[in-house]
Amino acid sequence: MRKLSSALIASTLALATALPARAETKIEVLHHWVSESEVAALNTIREALAAKGYGWQDSAVGGMSGGNMQQALRSRLAAGNPPGAMQFIGWEGIDWSSEGVMRDLNDLDKANGWQATIAPQVLPFVKNGDNLIAVPINMHRQNWVWANKAAFDKAGIEQPKTWAELIADGEKLKAAGIIPLAIGDEPWQIQVVFDALVSDIGGPDFYRKALVDLDPEALNSDTMKQVFDTLRQVRGLVDDGFNGRDWAVATGMVIDGQAAMQVMGDWAKGEFLAKGLKPGTDFLCFATPSETPSFQFVIDSFGMFKVSDPEVSKAQVALAEVVMDPKVQHDFNLIKGSIPARTDLGVDDFDDCAKKGFEERATAIESNAMLGGATHGFAAQPQFAAVFGDVAAQFFVNEMSSEDAVQLLVDGIDNAR
Amino acid sequence: MARRKSITDRFADWLPRLVLAPSLLAVIVGVYLFIAWTGWISLSSSKMVPQYDFVGLEQYYRLWATPRWHTAVANLFIFSALFLTVTIAVGLLMAILLDQNIRAEGALRAIYLYPMALSFIVTGTAWKWILNPNLGIQKVVNGLGWESFVFNWITQPDFAIYTIVIAAVWQSSGFAMAIFLAGLRGIDNSVIKAAQIEGASLPRIYASIIVPMLRPAFLSVIVLLSYISIKNFDLVLAMTNGGPGSATEVPSTFMFSSVFRRNQMGVGAASAIMMLMTVAAIIVPYLYSELKEDRHGH
Repeated sequence: MRKLSSALIASTLALATALPARAETKIEVLHHWVSESEVAALNTIREALAAKGYGWQDSAVGGMSGGNMQQALRSRLAAGNPPGAMQFIGWEGIDWSSEGVMRDLNDLDKANGWQATIAPQVLPFVKNGDNLIAVPINMHRQNWVWANKAAFDKAGIEQPKTWAELIADGEKLKAAGIIPLAIGDEPWQIQVVFDALVSDIGGPDFYRKALVDLDPEALNSDTMKQVFDTLRQVRGLVDDGFNGRDWAVATGMVIDGQAAMQVMGDWAKGEFLAKGLKPGTDFLCFATPSETPSFQFVIDSFGMFKVSDPEVSKAQVALAEVVMDPKVQHDFNLIKGSIPARTDLGVDDFDDCAKKGFEERATAIESNAMLGGATHGFAAQPQFAAVFGDVAAQFFVNEMSSEDAVQLLVDGIDNAR
Repeated sequence: MARRKSITDRFADWLPRLVLAPSLLAVIVGVYLFIAWTGWISLSSSKMVPQYDFVGLEQYYRLWATPRWHTAVANLFIFSALFLTVTIAVGLLMAILLDQNIRAEGALRAIYLYPMALSFIVTGTAWKWILNPNLGIQKVVNGLGWESFVFNWITQPDFAIYTIVIAAVWQSSGFAMAIFLAGLRGIDNSVIKAAQIEGASLPRIYASIIVPMLRPAFLSVIVLLSYISIKNFDLVLAMTNGGPGSATEVPSTFMFSSVFRRNQMGVGAASAIMMLMTVAAIIVPYLYSELKEDRHGH
């Protein structure tokens, strides 16, 4: 009897949902986007996928900047049950494809000419050898300064052109009773400043030598000492209560006018926009100041695992097409606060900061000042990138000389090799 | 008649083993097998995924050449030593005071025991705010008019580990108190009365008679607290996330970040084995002495 009634219910439900005519194949996507705007942005992909007749099975594992997601993936792969697709940051996609578990997307790439639309400096993160193994959805810039316009006016300062100017402005801000720089003590937040300093002081080529190639000479150079000297001066711009401060809390301090500036990627922009603030009039956005400005990118991409179910395999094709679809890239990034990974799209209806980023990206691609954000894994492999974070953070919170910091860096990198 | 009895007997003989078998199997696979696996990984070149090769002690050399690991080990010892001593002292004192036939003892006991009901994440988050110089104690005292008061340990790399001790003591001393109180209640009143008749003062009675009689309670508290301090992970994560810098890194957070965030699975496994050895160095002598006493018929 119970069986019969549940069969009845099931068939009624089936009738009710049978309108899309066929049983929907779902593709499971593992990602770590759980905040409100991130989920809203994901919905644009989900809807476009549904229009192609495929379902999206959400598998969000938040926390630990994706650390928890990595843990989940390892156990899934070990059990021989990988998800259909996954969001990748840094070298993750390339590393997994070297393990032989990723599917290549070469046919789709050839048919659609995707590679031509991706910045050449980004390709190493989605291409393993000759195989395209992931499709990038967005591009964030890591080296922005977010500033409160009213605080700048109160202290009588303009947008600084160099770090020396920025540090000098800090004194004026302090005199006006404003904390010059909002930051937390988490190593990655300090590393964001460090990354910016490396290319702003040493130039993009130095950045590549030190943070990508891990060249011992560059690591041990006077330029690196100078970077730490400047980082020490930046420490003087920070208040005492920076322990355990979340990046979004620091952004909030800039929004309130309690602090004047924050060095942070453009995910911080969403916090300003959510409060109804306008770029240019209420808050300022500009690249970290330098005579050799760079664009330090962070991308999110989707890679597909090898699966046995042919239906899921078709769904993977659909998902890749959706991710590279110009309209989806446009809509997704409008919500997420980033800019489209495709370089061939218009951004006329984006906010001024995004437009600025879009223009400066084009310049950076030309002048080869397009750099992977080391903090987020787009320079050296994580075991090395983490050493930079450790040393920068230790230097920042301790009384340590720049010479000692450079030594610590050289030793740490050697030990991780 | 005799045959039937022997079947039931045999069944009765086998029953305990049958009942214990599933959990024994679970423990063998879930604990010992994975300890062995971790040991193997620690001798391999594993980075992102397990590699089943053999590189000898290379990962251990690498581990001990990492300054963060030295910080983590030093922190473990500082934390454990202070956490154990202070928690035991505070717990014992509270238990003795509560044992003086005071009013509303039940209510007080519940109040002191209550922090134990919170998870370390909640404790850590609350103390992070309480100790933040711009939000917590320092701000309150400054606001009351003592402008020069400074209490910013949590921002000082050299002192931050002590703030974690403060939070952990707050959380666990009620628990130590409960065990000591149970121990105190188990002491025969006539012993105390006899000592009083002999003219011993109350502090003397406690120092020379009662506290020594609490030895089993001490052992339980020490074992339980030492394992809390070695597995300490969530408290650090919630309170300082290993910071400032990496000043409050402990072995468990080091292990997690090595394996899941730095692609150094081999180093992570080596650190796990080092932790296991530390625990074994404490537990094995304890188990040995306990089992030996059993054999003597205690």
